[in-house]
Formats: sequence, C-alpha cells, structure tokens
Amino acid sequence: MQVNFSYLDRQFADVDVYLKDVRDLVLSGDFTLGPPLGEFERRFAQLMEAPHAIGVGTGTDAIAMSLRMLGVGPGDEVITTPNTFIATVGAIVLTGARPVFVDSEDGYVIDPTQIEGAITPQTKAIVPVHYTGNVADMPAILQIARRHDLAVVEDACQSIMGAIEGKLVGSWGATAAFSLHPLKNLNVWADGGVIVTHSAELAETLRLYRNHGLVNRDEVEMFGINCRLDTVQAVVGNRLIGQTRQITERRIANARRYDESFSDLGEFINIPKRRPGVRHVFHLYVIRVKRRDELLAYLRKNGIDAKIHYPIPVHLQKAAANLGYKAGDFPVAEEHARSAITLPGHQHLTDDEVDYVIQKVRGFYRG
Amino acid sequence: MDVAGQHAVLRTELHEALDRVLNHGHFILGEEVEDFERRFAELCQTPFAIGVNSGTDALILSLRALGIGPGDDVITAPNSFVASAGCIALVGARPVFVDVREDYNLDPALLERVITPRSKAVIPVHLTGRPADMDGILAVARRRNLRVIEDAAQAVAAEYKGRRVGSFGDFGCFSLHPLKTLNACGDGGVVVTHSPELCEKTRLLRNLGLRTRENALLWSSNSRLDTLQASILLVKLKYLEAWTEKRRANARFYQENLGNLPEVQVPADAQHERAVYHTFVIQADRRDQLKQFLADQGIGTAIHYALPIHLQEAASSLGYRRGDFPVAERQASRILSLPVHPDLRPDDLEAVVAAIRNFYRA
Repeated sequence: MQVNFSYLDRQFADVDVYLKDVRDLVLSGDFTLGPPLGEFERRFAQLMEAPHAIGVGTGTDAIAMSLRMLGVGPGDEVITTPNTFIATVGAIVLTGARPVFVDSEDGYVIDPTQIEGAITPQTKAIVPVHYTGNVADMPAILQIARRHDLAVVEDACQSIMGAIEGKLVGSWGATAAFSLHPLKNLNVWADGGVIVTHSAELAETLRLYRNHGLVNRDEVEMFGINCRLDTVQAVVGNRLIGQTRQITERRIANARRYDESFSDLGEFINIPKRRPGVRHVFHLYVIRVKRRDELLAYLRKNGIDAKIHYPIPVHLQKAAANLGYKAGDFPVAEEHARSAITLPGHQHLTDDEVDYVIQKVRGFYRG
Repeated sequence: MDVAGQHAVLRTELHEALDRVLNHGHFILGEEVEDFERRFAELCQTPFAIGVNSGTDALILSLRALGIGPGDDVITAPNSFVASAGCIALVGARPVFVDVREDYNLDPALLERVITPRSKAVIPVHLTGRPADMDGILAVARRRNLRVIEDAAQAVAAEYKGRRVGSFGDFGCFSLHPLKTLNACGDGGVVVTHSPELCEKTRLLRNLGLRTRENALLWSSNSRLDTLQASILLVKLKYLEAWTEKRRANARFYQENLGNLPEVQVPADAQHERAVYHTFVIQADRRDQLKQFLADQGIGTAIHYALPIHLQEAASSLGYRRGDFPVAERQASRILSLPVHPDLRPDDLEAVVAAIRNFYRA
C-alpha cells in the first residue's frame, strides 16, 4: 500500500468543477482584486467569526504585513518560538526587527511561562505559532501582552478552525495570519494567505498596504507593496472553503485513531498532552518516538510518506547565525527536532490507510 | 487592453496548459516555472531569470540581494508607477528622485547632482516600453560606484543599441501583471541577471532562504511565480514577438497620422532603440477635455500617471514639493495614453485618429 502525505491528487480527482470556474474567470479577464476575492474574503471572515479578512500573497506575508502595520520595525524585538517553520522568523526579520526565541512546551507551541524572561525594553510584539494545528495558550499570552503593552500576531498558518473553549484562532491577537499553501487544510492552487482582524482600522490599512498604498488609481496614501491573493486562487478557494469544517473533523478523527492506537506504546511513543478545551486541528500529526530515523526509513520502505517537521530547529539554521543562539539554548525544541515524526493525517485518507499506518508503526516496535 | 479577447483566442492552448499543471499537482515551483525562467532568460539575453510573485517584488528582492536597506539612498524617476519608489521605501532605504527627459525616462545629465555618499543604486525605469538612456546612466553609475536595477516592468523585449533591456544592470525587473504585454492571469514578476551569485541569492530570497527543505541560509519570505501562472506564460511567450510588432505598428500608425497636429506631441522613435509601446503616451493641449471627448465616443484612454510620485501623500516625509521636477510635472498635466494593444483593428486606430483630429478642428 502507498500512503501519501500530499492529497492533492485526490482533492482534485474531479477537477472539472474547478476548471469550469477558472475558465470562466480566465475569459472574464478580471485577475486582480475582483469580485471572487471579495466573496472569498467575506466567506473566510464568516468562517473565522471575525469581521475582516484580507487576502494576501502568502501566509508569510500575512505575518510580515501585520507586524509592519502594527509599527514593528528596525530596533524592535519580536518574540516567537524556534519550534516552527522558518517562515515565521523570516517574516519578523523582513520587518527589520530582531527575532527572540522562547522554548516551546510539550505540544509544540510556545511555553507561556518563559515569555516574560525574554521581554526587554525593545520588545514590541509576540508571534505565537499555532504549530501543527495545536493552539498556543492564548489567554496566558494575552495577559502577558497586556501587562507589557505588546502587540500579538497569531501565526495561524497551520491551524485554521483551531480554538480554545470554542473561541477560534484569529480572534485572540490584533491580527492572525493564515496560509492557503497547497498543503494546508484549506488550500488553493498556489501560494496564498489571509489576514484576519477584528480592527476595522487595521483592516483598512492592510488593504491599502497590500495594493501599493493606492486609495484610488491615481493617489497613494502610503508606500505599500503588491501582495494580493490572486483572483484565480480566490475562485479555487470559494469552491473549497465550504468543506473546511468537514476537512477539520476528518483530520481530528484520524488523529484520535492514531492517539488511541498508540496509547499502549508509551515506552516508544510520546503523544503530546492533548490540552482539555483546545481544538487541535492536526495540520500535522506529530509524535515523538524512539529510534526515529529507523522508523522513518521503515515506514518509507513500506510506502508510507512520513516526514520530519523539522530536523533542524530554527535557531540552529545557518540563517540564524547572527542571532547568537547555540545548541542547548532551547532543550525542548531541540529534543523535538531529534525525535519528532509526522504521519500522514490528511482528510482524504481512507480508514484502511490509517489502519495500515497504525499496523506498520506498531509492527516496527512490537515486531 | 482586451484581456478577455486575448484569452478567447488562446482558449484551447490555455486550457491544455492548466490541465497539465492540475494533473501533476506541483503548484509551487513546478517544472513550468523552471521552463519559463529558462525561456525568459533567453528572451532577455541573460544567463539567469528568477520567477517571483510580482514586478514590485522583483524590485524589492533585487534591492535586498544587493544589501540595500536603512541608511541608503536609491535614485529613480518621479513619473513612474508608485511601485518603482515604493520598493525603495519598503526595504528601508530613501527614494531620491531625478527629473526625466522628453521621452519620459530618467535624465542622466541630472543624475550626478543627487549622488551622495549614501547613494547605493539607481533604478532607471523604461517607462512606456521605451528604453532609458543606458549608456548615459551606466557611465555615471560606473564612475560613482552605483548599482543599477532596471525597472523593465513595462518594457519586455525592448532593445537599446541591439541589446534587450534588463540585460544592462545588475538586475532587470519585469512585471507579468494581467495588463502587461506578456501577462499572467494574476500577479507575477521575474528578475534577470548576469551574475550567478546574485541569481543564487535571489533564488534564496524568493523561497524563504531555503537551500533545501531543511536548511535555511538566510531569512526571507516567499515570493514565487505560481506554477499555474508559469504554464499560462509559456503559452503566451510564443505570441510575444507578434504582439510586440503589432503594438509597434499601431504606434507607427499614430505617429504618422497624428504627427502633424500642432496641439499634439507624439513619441518619436530613435534609431538605436526598439520601443515596445506598453503604453502610447501623447502630450496634448486641453488634455482633460480631449480625454472626455474621446470617452464620449467610446474611446478609452488613461493617464500614466496623473500625480507624480514626489507629490503623493506617501512621499510627504521625503521633503519634495511642487516645482522640484518641472519636466515630470508638466508632462503629468499633458500626458494621455491612447489604446495601442495588439487586438486593435485598423478601423479602431482610424477612429481614434479621426476623433482626435475632430476635437482640435472643432
């Protein structure tokens, strides 16, 4: 059996419905900021239970643009975690600010108890990452942010529909960044991102900023960038967005089956603590295991497309050399990099495929 | 420009291209991107081309790759689309403007006066599809040690002394916006360069600094030309030369038929250049009335651009005021872009000419 990590071949097995929409758009010639983008933004905002959604170029841009419009720039520090995809850090550096790392907790999200230790007079913002689809401890983070007058931008690129006590990601920070990259839970056919905010003023500024600062065709209120979600991608998004809830439910169900099936393998497999009240949406199903690299090779040999997210923590990347961190600075994130493995968990997996993965993982440890 | 009409003609080819991408599913940096980059580099007579998310990003990534940022000055023209200056502000540098000549392009004779120890680069804009005076600009840049980034967003396939624009500077930056001559079905851009090092740096910058899936050499965001857009562009590349010649022929028609009107100034072609007429910009007496008169007869025109960049609210902190760039400012009050796109028919062109003649005769 072959169990793939990517599901795009299945998602677009019946591609004709999408193609019809795309064809209609191609013939209309209305490719930038047209009505389909307006519709997508409206529906995305509705799904996020937020008043404003702004379609932008990528999830990374969504973070960088948010930080910039909140006034973050050179000389400032922004706190995040080294247990993330490098884009979070790239976005911070792009604003001219300096990334400052705080270790993560067992569930791959920032450890709020360590944040205050990293705050300096230069600190301007916190970017909690809802990594793997888990949700950072937002009530605790917001308390700290309020106490120190810091802006909060949620990196929700992997956690669409994630929530704490029913309150969705994207409704905690000043803004939240979402990604529509082809491998995300809600995806399009190219790079894409969305910013969600409850502030009408920020929404207005971000709309200007993503479109050269143009208030109309001839007048520029501020120097901006060109960073729009393509209208053709909004067309694809409009087809898929209605499925977001089912996609989420299916991923959660797959994860639950994995969790249950591995619960007796505690000596080999460390399943992160599932915090009560948190809806983890499992963009990635990540566990930590003994003999990780052997397991990875074994699963691959058996046709299972397992992956490592990520073998090198961000603070030990060459790109981070000038930030002055070293191995040992963030023991939890570093341990995760050594032992974490990601199993296929996407919404198009069949029950048989999930069973097959479970059987192979169990077989590896139990023989 | 009639984008819908263009696509109706290319319908089958475009659908086949889209189908191919949908079938292989490599939506990010798929083989079509590489293929497009190779062919675009050939077109520009440069060894390297890098597909990015927009023409603006092409400029921003070029500035970043050259290490330009806070504390630096970058010189450009004030009469361009705002992105030419916006990209400079975006990397934290200060835009410095230099007035233009009658051909709407940066005047090299004025360049030297604004150079300070902070000046790091000059961005000549090949506005309207006409090449800037590259000999003049490169001479100053060499003497004063400035980097050169060509803003060729409007000038794909334009030539200066037999060489394609984009191939003169450290970088050439192109836009593939839906209204450009070579156009995607969404935002898109491309950077060309002769330098393997700058190419490598730009490739890293457009893809989060990643050398492999696991190794980041520097911090950046992602700004990639979409595979789907590359597949569409590969279809259109085949027609670019024909479209360009059509634009040039349309321009010639206007030049021949409007050239003797005293109230109108048409752009002149020089022997050493191939202008590609992304826009055909005339200067006209009573411009606003003419524009209205043409609109009443169903002839769509535009002004590129009505308010020079140094007078935009966004530029208020730069300290410029009205009168600083008299040529650009005078042009802003007189310029009008006539339809010049390749789908115009002969009677369209004749109608435009007749309407303009009627306007001034009345």
